[in-house]
Amino acid sequence: MASMAALSPEVTRMLAAKEQRRRKLAGLPFPEKVRAVVQLQRMVAPILRARGRKVRVWNIEGSAARRSPETP
Amino acid sequence: MEATLRVLNELEQAGVVSRYAIGGAMAATFYAEPVLTFDLDVFVVLPQTRGGLLTLEPLYEALRARGYCEENECVNIEGVPVQFLPAYNALLEEALAEAREMMYEATPTRVLRAEHLVTVALQTGRDKDRERVRLLREAPFDPDYLAGVLARHGLGERWHQWQP
Repeated sequence: MASMAALSPEVTRMLAAKEQRRRKLAGLPFPEKVRAVVQLQRMVAPILRARGRKVRVWNIEGSAARRSPETP
Repeated sequence: MEATLRVLNELEQAGVVSRYAIGGAMAATFYAEPVLTFDLDVFVVLPQTRGGLLTLEPLYEALRARGYCEENECVNIEGVPVQFLPAYNALLEEALAEAREMMYEATPTRVLRAEHLVTVALQTGRDKDRERVRLLREAPFDPDYLAGVLARHGLGERWHQWQP
């Protein structure tokens, strides 16, 4: 594999932007990250189903809004 | 997801589980970038049974009574497949006892500390655990706290072996 020093400035810039995006995603609030996971599930589920794997995309918005005593 | 967490809180308040905390990929996502998973791993401390047996059956029964069905190794709770994992060793017992309390929107919940997630991954030792350790190395964690956990559970050497 080529070392970072051998990469063109354009590729170096693209890798840096990718790294910056990863850090930005890592800094999102947890509920937004959960929504991103569900988006990933939607993208990947058809591929996995085509391979015969049973997967369920989470229904995080449509569940019953029951109120209940809360802990912790 | 919030409705799922409310059900977990209800189970804890009713004494069906003594304590719970989110682990696995979703807990790693709490500290790092989002990673693909289809299950919500929930570690639980179960109340002591008369015979001293560690069984998830009373928990499944309580969930069935609330209308939540088992699907393979998970229980679908409000649209999220939850996999319950009993704290089966000293590391997981410690991780659950020291899990971090946080809010998911308006609902309180618990997530394992990043230091415990790293140590659990080191202990489990599968390929995907290596990837999780790599991801969590970039997460904000307390190095002194991590050193203590690694030492207590004899995983310091593996932590160094798994350095990139």
